[in-house]
Amino acid sequence: MADRHLHPANGNSASSQFGGAAPFFVGLVVALILGWWAFPQMLYSQKHQPVRFSHKVHMEGAGMECSSCHFLREDGSFAGLPTTESCAECHSEPLGSDPEEARFIEEYVNTGKEVEWLVYQKQPDNVFFSHAAHSMNSCNTCHDFTETELCSTCHPNVAETDEAPVYYENKLTKYSKQTMKMWRCEECHAHPEHYGTTRSSNACYVCHK
Amino acid sequence: MAVDRRGFLKFVAGVSAGVMVTPIPWKLLDDASIWTQNWPWIPSNVDGATSYVSTVSKLCPSCVGMKVRLVGDRPVRILPDENHPLSKGGISPLAVAEAQMLYSPARVKRPLKRAADGAYVAISWEEADALLAEKLGAAKGSIACVSGDETGSINEVLSSLAVQAGSGNFYLMPTEAQPAAKALAAMGGKGQLGYDIENSDYVLAIGANVLETWGPVISTRAAYKAARPHGEDPAVQFVFAGPVQNSTAAGADQWVPIKAGTEGVFALGIAHLLIKAGATADAADFSAFKSLAEAYTPAKVAEITGTNADQLKAVAAALLKARTPLVVCGSDFGQGTGAGTVMAGIAVNMLLGGLNRKGGLKLLPVAEPVVSSAMSRAEMMDKDFVSYMSRINAGKEKAPKAMVFYEANPAYALPQATKMSEVLGQVSFKVTFTTFLDETAMLCDLVLPVPMGLERLDDVATPYGYGQALYCLARPVAPMPASVKPAGDYIVALAGKLGCSLGVSSWEEVLQAKAKAMDADWDSLMDGNVFTSDATVSANLSFAADLLAKSVNVKAQEGNFAVAPVFKLGIGTAKTAIPPYNNKLIRRWELQGNELYVAMNGATARKLGVMMHDKIVISNKSGSINARVNIFEGIMNDTITVLMGLGHTAFDQFSKGKGENVMQLLTVGFEAGTGLSVWNMAGVTISKA
Repeated sequence: MADRHLHPANGNSASSQFGGAAPFFVGLVVALILGWWAFPQMLYSQKHQPVRFSHKVHMEGAGMECSSCHFLREDGSFAGLPTTESCAECHSEPLGSDPEEARFIEEYVNTGKEVEWLVYQKQPDNVFFSHAAHSMNSCNTCHDFTETELCSTCHPNVAETDEAPVYYENKLTKYSKQTMKMWRCEECHAHPEHYGTTRSSNACYVCHK
Repeated sequence: MAVDRRGFLKFVAGVSAGVMVTPIPWKLLDDASIWTQNWPWIPSNVDGATSYVSTVSKLCPSCVGMKVRLVGDRPVRILPDENHPLSKGGISPLAVAEAQMLYSPARVKRPLKRAADGAYVAISWEEADALLAEKLGAAKGSIACVSGDETGSINEVLSSLAVQAGSGNFYLMPTEAQPAAKALAAMGGKGQLGYDIENSDYVLAIGANVLETWGPVISTRAAYKAARPHGEDPAVQFVFAGPVQNSTAAGADQWVPIKAGTEGVFALGIAHLLIKAGATADAADFSAFKSLAEAYTPAKVAEITGTNADQLKAVAAALLKARTPLVVCGSDFGQGTGAGTVMAGIAVNMLLGGLNRKGGLKLLPVAEPVVSSAMSRAEMMDKDFVSYMSRINAGKEKAPKAMVFYEANPAYALPQATKMSEVLGQVSFKVTFTTFLDETAMLCDLVLPVPMGLERLDDVATPYGYGQALYCLARPVAPMPASVKPAGDYIVALAGKLGCSLGVSSWEEVLQAKAKAMDADWDSLMDGNVFTSDATVSANLSFAADLLAKSVNVKAQEGNFAVAPVFKLGIGTAKTAIPPYNNKLIRRWELQGNELYVAMNGATARKLGVMMHDKIVISNKSGSINARVNIFEGIMNDTITVLMGLGHTAFDQFSKGKGENVMQLLTVGFEAGTGLSVWNMAGVTISKA
């Protein structure tokens, strides 16, 4: 009776075993590429600001600070983005020869239309966040932040950018890719030292009113 | 290399394992949960810049000053205004609800006409204009106007219309201002009564629920708060005399239980003791008053009012000891009181030397009318709407051919409400300028929507009871819905069409003239500032002792039990019903489902043989209501308290059909001497249901 071999007669069993596992690893690599590279490309659509805006020109050229436009009002509420009217305080006429500048004056300043800026970190309605409680006055009680440092703790530091960053919109949720999640808030709120000093409790109702 | 089945399964296993260490499943799960929050039918915030505008509430009877927080052009929150004298950092639950009431389901959104089958049909403003001009033109000479706004200049426009196109039948919905004006006039005074509670060191409120419903409540609460700092001895004593331990009694240092409707007698009892202690007043008929007060001995007052003679004596002694005592007489529920009660209160203030002094009773100047043919404030106050309706009911006066209502809801808010609705039925054409589809609107042939106080330009001139002459503007802070029209301008134009000359071409012109007449600066008012003046009208008041003797008599009531209505600012008024957000202010044993609870003390319950939650029927010749029993010991014997503001048959699902309207039980009587209609005492019989 002929021998029945479970393995090839050439005895190359190790190679055979490796070849046997190859499809698994191919699958693994495909999944990893798909998940880490292709999936994010598919999930987000790229958008650009409706008007080209250079923070660098305003900060370095005009000597402005974040709070020159994104200021807190007298009552402590955050003004957010400047209105067309406030931009027009300087840009009532085109400054320089940039055609984008002329377009801004024509389309927005002259018509009074507000620019629909894309906000990178707009929080959903179920989150209450007050900039007043996260101001230089409160954070700099212990820290020694510059305004840019403080703002860029949470926001992308655009102070030195000439072009506004691309806005990645999640196709499913319609939120910006950079919208902060709870864990980012908790970095400070759950910090024991913060709690002791600022009483910034990590309780749900602090943010979810 | 061909892929066999085994190889494929290995590949799938690899993909599965790999996927688990990529963001795909976790990110998708997270995003899917966020996606569910963004479904289009879920309400979301609309962004905009925040701003604050100071204005005054035209909805709240205490005319509270308020700051409106706007996001963009939308009012989102009503906040107290520290700088407004009628607010001083306080706010009323009605004013707070005003921003939400803009979206009330009961709001009238377009002109409505009653069709032949009785249903309402929406019509255009052009059709409404034509119908109104035709009907009022035909009714000329027999038009009556009724206003539910006590402090606004709209009354001058309406009264001018009533005078020129009607027969002078302009009426204000009854409040406490009318008996007060009548009392002051009878005693030879001019102007308007103002109580300087803010500067008094001893406030005796007889009947007047000063911390809840009487006068400019929020400003009074501010004075109360300022005089009683937390953890310190109170700088001002508050004493309340009335049948129920209401909000004022709860805040007062002392509650003196007296029967409803006996406030005047209690005041005369105080006068008796003051005179005995040597108090006097520089009035021609002091001796006549002295002999009148002579009869009101503590024993007699105790018998009539049900109070304790020693308590009465203690209050009189405290009044004598105080530097700037003040006595406020009124009704427990803000209406229906007689002039006699107010006269007795004024008399006590005169004996205390409290006339036109700091912390006392002031006679405040009233501006002259600014609209041609308009009634003066005194003339308006002299007109008694309940009496007019009673005369029509009795056939002593013909019903007018047309009635014009402005923010007035007599079908709900007058005593003997059902009867009053029947009388209104005799008027062949009725039109109402209203924000909400109220009970009166449901009776009208034409319903014209007007903007709310937050959407229109309007004014407030010295609310009754406030201690200073005052004038301020309600400024439009919210965009007006396209289909409503401000009544001021509309009625000015309507008067022109009817051939009446009001002497003004626009509503703003009326307000500007009024500001000028008050000595106020228009631009400053438009900036949200409030004009106040310390000016007073000097007068040598008499005690009107003869009239007082007649009017203060307490009549025997029907039945063995008395009804004491309780009015709370948050529950709503005839004008507003219950703002949906305020339903939570109704306590557990005030309303359950749609069933009303009335309260009585344990002794009364034992007498009736009822227990907590038992069903009872409360009735008298005016009507009857069904309720369940609640036991509360802060009520006098043989008295039941009923919460006002319930039992609407119109408005929205938050008010309609909830509880019963206590006005059904309040029977109109006429005060001896003054002839004023009164309904602050109601006797009832109670039986188990």
